[in-house]
Amino acid sequence: MSTLGFSEEQRDCLQEIINVAMGLASDKLARFLNTFVHLQVPSIALVGASHIPAEFENRYQDTEAALVSQGFFGNEGVRGEAIVLYQMENAHKISALLGYEVGDVSEIEMLTDISSILTTTFLNGLADQIENSLSYSAPRVLSSVKGDMSSLLRNTSFHWEHALKVDISYQLVDHSFNCDMILLIPGEAVTNIQRILDRILEDY
Amino acid sequence: MALPVLICDDSLLARKQVRKSLPESFDAEFQTAGNGLEALTILRAQEIGLVFLDLTMPELDGIGVLEAIKAESIDCFVIVISADIQPEMKKRVMELGALAFIHKPVNEDKLHSILKQYGLI
Amino acid sequence: MSHAWLSSPILAQLNSGVIVIDDEYQIHYLNAFIERHASVQLSEVQGKSIFSVFADLPEAWLKRKLMSVLDLNTPAFSSWEQRQYIFKLPHLRPITSSSQYMAQNCSMLPLVSDQTDQPLICILIEDATDAFVYQQHLSKTLIELERANRQDGLTKVLNRRYWEEQLKQEIHRAQRYHHPLSLILFDLDKFKDLNDKYGHLGGDFVLIQLASFISSLLRDSDLFGRYGGEEFGIILPDTGLEGAVEVAERICQAVAEYPMLFNQQTIRASISMGVAELLPKQHLLHDDVIRCADMALYNAKRAGRNRVCSYLAGETEYQKKVN
Repeated sequence: MSTLGFSEEQRDCLQEIINVAMGLASDKLARFLNTFVHLQVPSIALVGASHIPAEFENRYQDTEAALVSQGFFGNEGVRGEAIVLYQMENAHKISALLGYEVGDVSEIEMLTDISSILTTTFLNGLADQIENSLSYSAPRVLSSVKGDMSSLLRNTSFHWEHALKVDISYQLVDHSFNCDMILLIPGEAVTNIQRILDRILEDY
Repeated sequence: MALPVLICDDSLLARKQVRKSLPESFDAEFQTAGNGLEALTILRAQEIGLVFLDLTMPELDGIGVLEAIKAESIDCFVIVISADIQPEMKKRVMELGALAFIHKPVNEDKLHSILKQYGLI
Repeated sequence: MSHAWLSSPILAQLNSGVIVIDDEYQIHYLNAFIERHASVQLSEVQGKSIFSVFADLPEAWLKRKLMSVLDLNTPAFSSWEQRQYIFKLPHLRPITSSSQYMAQNCSMLPLVSDQTDQPLICILIEDATDAFVYQQHLSKTLIELERANRQDGLTKVLNRRYWEEQLKQEIHRAQRYHHPLSLILFDLDKFKDLNDKYGHLGGDFVLIQLASFISSLLRDSDLFGRYGGEEFGIILPDTGLEGAVEVAERICQAVAEYPMLFNQQTIRASISMGVAELLPKQHLLHDDVIRCADMALYNAKRAGRNRVCSYLAGETEYQKKVN
């Protein structure tokens, strides 16, 4: 993980908090979906937001993919935009688990539901640990078109300075479901997050 | 006499959190390991009474450590503390001889009651 | 100083709906916005199921959303773009919108209350009718724009650019599925004379009349476009040379018998037509088929106009001599 001004201790702290948030999210999801969810430890990286399009265009270029965006904001200047990226075939798998039937709801609604659940369960788990609480804007689907993922990512990440990449891999009993989550955060939010991490580190 | 305790987790924060969650009355001599291999090196060389063991770690994971402890008949108590909460994982951990399986973030009351149950505090 | 007293007047003034229900879907609260729009009174509906008070709710759908809010302790959302409304409420813009119900963005939020241990959900309903109306105008405009982009301004048949694109696609399809494909190119005979005699308005009138008349003779799957000036093309999918010649003969004859009334004068026109069939091995590009049909058209002109000529396989140049 590139440090972007994070000390080794801060990085370690953030990774641990994210691991635990993933664990909490998987627990909730498992109970909600009534199936067993296994979460691999997500790898995280903090990068300049301008690097995001290049990082993801290969993975999503030749496939039907969707990008769903959802804003989050909390106390102490924690705010940003969560992006969930997935290949549509993966989205169909999880939609079946959520109990959607074909033609039941629009594909876009299905995508926003899945993304919102993944994003908010994870971020709530994260917020709990740093004694914060988050509000969310409604999720928006930015694309499910073939091939234009990189330009979309460019447009989306343009307004943000930094991006925290969290690779998420959900495995369910009979299915596996992979997606990427990117948390786009403004420059000052990084400083705020560092302050929070320092406070946690001081506590221990 | 102080109990020799090993805290094994790749995260420094997690190691500190475990230590902070222990009751003040807990009389122990602490050592730490950042991965499974480091833990085994210590376990083979020294008498360790209790291990707090994370599961997901580089080099050698917690399952590997438990397997080695079992195979080499190393005499110690192991309490697994993990963010990975799969029921199957818990089953496997318990089968490999762990005393308990605790979810992260560590719930102090739960940890204390387990320590009490096994007469460690 | 506590600001708790503020919530009540603000909730009453709020231009959004607020409904609070519990985990058994019973209504605990709704604000004035909902009372007024839905013509209900909080005192009358308190404690009743939201599904009995609002009978039109999409019950299964909404329960699934509410369940996720309760189970996961996370918010759920619904946008007018996917579901125009959840609560069937009238809106305040009866004239500007084609829909009589308020378009809504809804948020379903888990509520923590110190009054009760029972989990509560706050449903926020925002009026999105304005956005809905703009979106409708926009889609309508886009559809018109797309039509304009492929239509010939004068004759309303396909314009050349779009017609040629269609030809390329049809050729591709015919080659892939081994279906026949034919092309007719035709030209209005002595168009210059018509223009001289009736003026450019008269010439335009003839083009418009004939384009519309010929369109009425074609199948839905045929693609009729203006190739330029007084020259037109018809793509006939799933049609071999023989069939295409039949169609062309029929059109040619019908046009010759079609009188057009312009400024109290009857105008008669005729057309010359060239027909070519796609030969998969020779015609690799759409230009090749056009060239063949054009050769046949040229021959029809040379042969005396008001007739159909077809391209014969192997022909490589325009016949120097008229048969």
